[in-house]
Order: sequence, then structure tokens, then C-alpha cells
Amino acid sequence: MQDDARDLDVERQLDAWAAAQSGTQISPEFAAKVRQRLRPSLTPVKPVPSRRTLFLVLLAIFVAVSAVLVAVMNKTGLHMVTPVQLGVVSAILWGGGILFAINLSGQMVPGSRPVIPLWALLSLSGVAAFGGITMLFPWRTSGSFVSEGWPCAAMELALLVPAATIFWLFARRGALFGSAGLGATLNAVAAFLVLVPLQVQCMFQQAPHLLVWHLGTGLLMIGLGALVGNALRGRSVS
Amino acid sequence: MMQYQNADPVALDELVRRISPPLLRYFSGSRFAGNDAEDMMQDCWMRIHRSRHTYRASEPVMPWIYSIARHTRLDAYRKRRRLAAREVLVAIVPDTLRQDAPEVRDDNFERLVSTLPESQREVLFMLKVTGMSLDEIARATASTVGAVKQKARRAYLTLRRALGKDSKNAG
Repeated sequence: MQDDARDLDVERQLDAWAAAQSGTQISPEFAAKVRQRLRPSLTPVKPVPSRRTLFLVLLAIFVAVSAVLVAVMNKTGLHMVTPVQLGVVSAILWGGGILFAINLSGQMVPGSRPVIPLWALLSLSGVAAFGGITMLFPWRTSGSFVSEGWPCAAMELALLVPAATIFWLFARRGALFGSAGLGATLNAVAAFLVLVPLQVQCMFQQAPHLLVWHLGTGLLMIGLGALVGNALRGRSVS
Repeated sequence: MMQYQNADPVALDELVRRISPPLLRYFSGSRFAGNDAEDMMQDCWMRIHRSRHTYRASEPVMPWIYSIARHTRLDAYRKRRRLAAREVLVAIVPDTLRQDAPEVRDDNFERLVSTLPESQREVLFMLKVTGMSLDEIARATASTVGAVKQKARRAYLTLRRALGKDSKNAG
């Protein structure tokens, strides 16, 4: 910026351009038209809580729903993993859930300072999940890869849709309009939530199974969320 | 803004009076605004109105407003593209539908600015016309201060080159 700032001519012309822009005015009729449209629905509103509060509520939903699901589902998978595998996978899933909850809380308040861009968050969580699974879990598959896998994918889908709905019901108070980012974030935070009980329940703790049927399904749903959000772009989702 | 949230009609009038002119400039300056700047502004006001509870008194108001305005502009652009695409299917598109061409105006410098990429022109507008800080622009554009600086730098470089001030061109 310093080099650019030295160019006084560009700066001078930009200042003149900005000053010329300042002359634009709206007609009194147009202002009256806007006021007329807004006044009938001018009622007192309660401002949304702070971003920190929004994040904490999202986190509470994440913890509560995943805890309930872990409690009611069987825990076969828990006995089939080492403490290291359990620790790393839990850190990835919880870390992903927390980061996407932070991102979602930002999307609920227009003009918020973004903590991590969504593309970076998706890349980071994808690399962490892929890396963690490929490095920690054995690379073997059984002959019944598909028949063992699809029930996990179906279970993930069955849990992810209501989980995403719960987050949407909360998020719509602030995130009023559809967007690809909102759809992807809602499904991402729901996917991380659902993967917690699924990991505890699943008896097939092998890298190919986890990558395809657990992580793959989650990624598919994040992509689907982005598509739905994009289709609803600009429309009210509240 | 807080009075507006408390349904004070005078605050609404004052806000419309003060915010509408810069918003109209923002929408008019967009290369794909065409003649729809006023429609976009009306849509933006409806969104501001419906989103008014998302404003927090502890946060700066301009990034909040321009964040909503930016979404309005992008949505209008996409809507226009969808409509244009449908027109292509039924007939040859008349040139008048091609709203993405830079608007030619009398002023040379304004024409130069209008040829900048939309994201760079937007940053210049917020920086120079609205007087927002780099941090506020980053908030409004859901970006980082570094990315905003980079866009501004590129815009300056393009303008400097176009004005024949670039050292390479001068040599």
C-alpha cells in the first residue's frame, strides 16, 4: 500500500472520483416509498446475542445431541479402538465441530469478522480427518465391503438430516438468507456431530470403511448442503 | 440504529435519509446494476429491515449494512444471469441484455474504475467513498484485512498503469 500511496496522481483522481460520487442523492419520492414499505412492519426487535453466546449455544447443542446419541446407541466400536485412535479421532471430530460452530455463529451476524474462511476450514478439517484415518487405522477390507458399509452410511444420513435441521432452526434467527456457505456449514457441523456416535458404534474400524462410508458420506452431505443453500440463495430461510 | 430496533419511526426516516444515498451509489457503480439500482436498493432495505435484529450495538454499523448490501447485489447479479440464460434458450440475446459490459461514461477516470474487476472496484468504493477502514471492509466482504489490502493494491496498480504512471510504461 505504501508504494501505491506515493502515487499522488492516482490518489488525487480517486479523491476526485469519490467526491463526485458523494453528490448522488435519492429522490424524496423514493425515500417516501421505502419508508412506506417498511413502516407497517416496524415493530421492536430484540438484538441477537453476542457471537460468543451464539457459539456457546451451538456448542451446547452439539454436546447435548451427540451425548444423547452416544448414550442410546451401542458402543461396540469403543472397544475396538486403541486409546490413541480414540483420542485423535475425538480431537478431530470435536475440533471440526467447534470450528464449524464458530463459523456458523459468524454467519448469523452480518458484518462479523471472519475467524477462518469457510474454504480453509473445509480443507483443514478434510485433511485432518483424511490424515488421521489413513495414518491410525489399518488398511484392510473384507469381501463384504459394501454390505458392511452401507448401513453405516444410511445411519449417518438418518441422523444427519435431523441434526442439520436442529442447527438450522437455531441459525435461522440470524442467518436469514440461503447461501452455499450456510448450507455447507450447517451440514458440516451436523456431520461432525453425527460422526461422534457413529464412531463409537461402528464395529468396522478400518481405514477404507471409515474413509468411504463415514467421511465420504459426510463430505457428500456437505456438498449437498452447499447445493441446496445455493439453490435457495437470496431467498428467506427463516 | 438502536432506536430503529426499538421501532422508532423517526429513526427509520433518519436512517433511510442517511444510508440511501451511499447505498444507491454502491448499487449504481456496479457494472451489472444496469437500470436496476433503485430496485436493488429497495430489496436491500427490505433485507436490512428483516435483519435489523442481527445488528449489535457494540459492532460498527457500516460493515453490517454493506454486508447485507453486498449479498443483495450478488443475488441480483445471479438472478440477472439466470434470466439471461433463459433468454438464450428461446432466442438470440439482444445486445441490450448484456449488462455485464462496463458502463461508458463521460469521465475517463470513472470509466477506468468501472473496468476494474468487481471485487477491486467494490473495495475502492468502500475505502474511498464510504470511508470505511480496512478492517470494516474485511468484515463487510467476509474477507481478511490482507485480502482487502491485496485487492486495493491491485486496483491501484491497474489504475496507475492505465494512467501511464507505471514506471515500466514510463520508461
